[in-house]
Amino acid sequence: MTKKIERVRAGEKVFDWLLLLFSAGVLYEAYRIDNGVQLNSAGSFPVGLALIMLVSSIAILFSHRRKQRDPQIRSASQEFKVFLHEHFKTHIVVFSIVSMLYLVAIVWTSFYISTFIFLAAMFIYYRQGKIISSLVIASLAIAIIYMLFTIVFRVYLP
Amino acid sequence: MSDTFSYLLMAWLDPGLLGLTALGVIAGIYIGAIPGLSVTMAVSILISFTFSWEINNALALMVGIYVGGVYGGSRTAILLNIPGAPSAVTTAFDGYPLAQKGEAGKAIGLSTVMSVIGGLIGVVVLAATAPHLADLALKFAPRDYFLIAAMGLLLVSSLSGKSLARGIFSVALGATIGLVGMDMVTAQPRLTMGSMELLGGIHYVVVMIGLFGVAEAFYQLHNMAKVPVKQNVDKIVPPLNMVLKFLPLSLRTSIIGVVVGALPGTGGDIASLFAYDHAKRTVKNPEVPFGEGAYEGLVAPETANNAAVGGAYVPMLTLGMPGDAVTAVIIGALVIHGLNPGPMLMIETPYIFWFTVGNLALANIFLLIFGLTGIKLFSKIVEVPKAIMIPLILVLCVVGTYSLNSSMTEVYWMLGFGILGYWLKMFGFQMGPIILGVILGPLLDQSYRQAMSSVGDSSVDFLLALVINPLSLVLTSVIVLVLLGNTPLKGWLYSRFKRS
Amino acid sequence: MTKPLFTQLAIAIGSLAVAGSALADYPERNIQGTIQWGAGGATDNVVRSLTPHVEEVLDTTIVLTNRPGGTGVIGMNHVMRQRPDGYNLLFGAENPQLYPLMGLADFTYDDMYPINIIGQGRVVIATHPNSPFDTFAELLEYAHENPDELKMGGTGAGGLPSTIHAMINSVDDLNVRTVTFGGDGPGVTALLGEHIDFMPLSLSAVAEQIRAGRLKGLAVLGSEELEDLPDVPPITDALPGLDSFLPWGPFWGVFVHEDTPDDVKATLEDAYEQAVASDGFQEFLTNFGGESLNLNGEEAQQYLDNWQSVTAWSMFEADAVEKSPEELGIPRP
Repeated sequence: MTKKIERVRAGEKVFDWLLLLFSAGVLYEAYRIDNGVQLNSAGSFPVGLALIMLVSSIAILFSHRRKQRDPQIRSASQEFKVFLHEHFKTHIVVFSIVSMLYLVAIVWTSFYISTFIFLAAMFIYYRQGKIISSLVIASLAIAIIYMLFTIVFRVYLP
Repeated sequence: MSDTFSYLLMAWLDPGLLGLTALGVIAGIYIGAIPGLSVTMAVSILISFTFSWEINNALALMVGIYVGGVYGGSRTAILLNIPGAPSAVTTAFDGYPLAQKGEAGKAIGLSTVMSVIGGLIGVVVLAATAPHLADLALKFAPRDYFLIAAMGLLLVSSLSGKSLARGIFSVALGATIGLVGMDMVTAQPRLTMGSMELLGGIHYVVVMIGLFGVAEAFYQLHNMAKVPVKQNVDKIVPPLNMVLKFLPLSLRTSIIGVVVGALPGTGGDIASLFAYDHAKRTVKNPEVPFGEGAYEGLVAPETANNAAVGGAYVPMLTLGMPGDAVTAVIIGALVIHGLNPGPMLMIETPYIFWFTVGNLALANIFLLIFGLTGIKLFSKIVEVPKAIMIPLILVLCVVGTYSLNSSMTEVYWMLGFGILGYWLKMFGFQMGPIILGVILGPLLDQSYRQAMSSVGDSSVDFLLALVINPLSLVLTSVIVLVLLGNTPLKGWLYSRFKRS
Repeated sequence: MTKPLFTQLAIAIGSLAVAGSALADYPERNIQGTIQWGAGGATDNVVRSLTPHVEEVLDTTIVLTNRPGGTGVIGMNHVMRQRPDGYNLLFGAENPQLYPLMGLADFTYDDMYPINIIGQGRVVIATHPNSPFDTFAELLEYAHENPDELKMGGTGAGGLPSTIHAMINSVDDLNVRTVTFGGDGPGVTALLGEHIDFMPLSLSAVAEQIRAGRLKGLAVLGSEELEDLPDVPPITDALPGLDSFLPWGPFWGVFVHEDTPDDVKATLEDAYEQAVASDGFQEFLTNFGGESLNLNGEEAQQYLDNWQSVTAWSMFEADAVEKSPEELGIPRP
């Protein structure tokens, strides 16, 4: 059997260290529930789970020893560049930022207006133009949501 | 006897009831398919809506929605990898890979037929054994629920893919998320970091929509250039030999579904997880490996969660105790309509029981009809260009999360889980174990503490109770056997056994 | 059966149309109702069966949403943060009166305006039929001789069983193991399976089980027997000292933001008074095991204050809470 040595992805190690840090944070928060460790109290399970997270994230970090880095990546700055290139392509960044703006906009405009603008903007951006058909699809989607949620299921949307 | 028969057929012969059941099933399929819209919510709305109706009409509509809704969750799970409801999470594991291979139509067709088979088995078990099954369900003490939850946690080995350490981390993470909020016993805030909004906990559907829906949208963005798969929609209805081939498996998973559904503390979500695990353990050589589009991985959860519907009615109709959240609301509807749901319901108004049994069977027939029509159109959803699909998925996730509790905070959390899910997915973590943790964590915590309190906080008595009560002993043995089966010990035991 | 159904539908749709167009005064649109507890619970059942009667009087639709969690803190917090225009109602149970005492939140119903105190539930202490005890006095005697042995079902700090337990402990000494469940339903199920020995429950949750002989009542929380539960002795037979707390029960009410305009408050008060008094709802409430109160204005406020002081002080005297009600400005009963 030929065992392929797994590659470490760019940023994976950093991510796994972050998980370890997160687990430690959870352990601290969990410990504070009872300010101690008891067998049957509000804090017992959270503390236990945090310990499991801590131990398994250490195990994950150890498993990196068996993996190899991409031979083309030699330095940390290079890894960072690969990481940026892989996960922060323009269209992903745009989508993330616009989605967050959209969620904020729901609160101070209203659900339907912000959704329409969000959909239309994203359609036009991703389809590189085609403004009219994008607007039509966005209106259609809004109409369906209105029918289904507001009229049929009487869900109150902001 | 003849009375029983006429009650059974009541829904089948009355055109009004037929129409309402059909309407319920159709509405249910859509409610189930949209993440965030739940059957519980729909039935609650119906209570005020059907207030002045005759009770039979109201019940027929509710039964239809319930049956359709449980099934509907599989639609979006298969097509978009976004389970419409927690009980369809496992359906996505193999359903979505099938859709990615261009077999969405076939997958939906098979899941429809299997849902109906599961549903009908559930109805038969309900009709034949309801009082006995209810008595069995009552025998489950808190320690037994603890054991069931622990057994569920063992599923992590079948859900975590290549890296067990990552799987265990994910389960613990999920369970921790499930425990956020006010402690049930002492009312202390746990892990809320001072937020009042978090006192009520993080709803597991919020986690599910984020991890599956939003994370999937981001993941898709990553492969924006990939052209959607052309769907083959020629063969939608599964051929008879295929159905027959999976019949033994579906019988077993249906029984799992009914029993887990009948337990008042567990429902279709846990049933489908157990069924998936059962399939993975018993089907040794699937044509395609599990997780990559095995039909068995679709059959097991779909039969189990529909069979759980029949199960959930067992304690409701015999004892007046809810089997799950939906039957709890239906009990409310009965009260509002002037009936007294309780142990006397079957004695004083036996027609309610037989009418429900007949109506459930009818709803399953409608499910077969409506489930198999329109698949071609649905399968085309997978072919929609990503430029349109991805923004729409995000909007759907937002609406779905908001309609859950009308809370914008939960929408932000949902997006947060989506981003977290994206990174976890990128670095080799699976979503399944996280959801497993979110579902089972609170059950494990609650039942453990109930069991500990029952024995006066003595850990010796607690462990002793797990082996001296017959029912607990059975469950403990199963856990021990599964654990042994996962270790090298198994090979050793097996060889010893063979030699003797 | 078909025809009346479609007629009903037609009427329903027709009335919706009228509600949408004709009215200029309050209410001119749908009203949002927030239920503090989950679907299928006692509060949910009461509210959902009352609402159609109110809709009839107000000629509008009340869209009900369940916002459970945090012993009702989440739902109440939501309504308090909405605009005070009368389009957001809170349907709640008794719990908010104890929030500051339990350290859950710093608000109570004093920070809202009571539209109607709909009614109150009655409480039974129940056990399973194989239990050796037939009255609460026998159970109490056994518990005195064998402390920390019996298992009592509870629903967590601030829940009904914990309050009753505190009341009992303020006049006697009941030392038991408390097993906490997610609500009345899971508790009753555990009692049916004989996994716990007894549990204080609302009558609506157990009346049918007792009638069918699957559970038996040890005592009713009151100074007299209940008509619907003959042969279940009042708790004062075992603990005469409890008399000063009675009558006591969990209650359900409708509340709006404090700053809601007075005419809107008056319209709502009037509508709810009529709806609660309607035959249909009264029939439901009796069947449900509840007791109608239908209080508003000054009377409602008095009821709320009295409930709070009785409960808070009994809990304090039983050492169930650390904070003194005096610090929070709750007068002694």
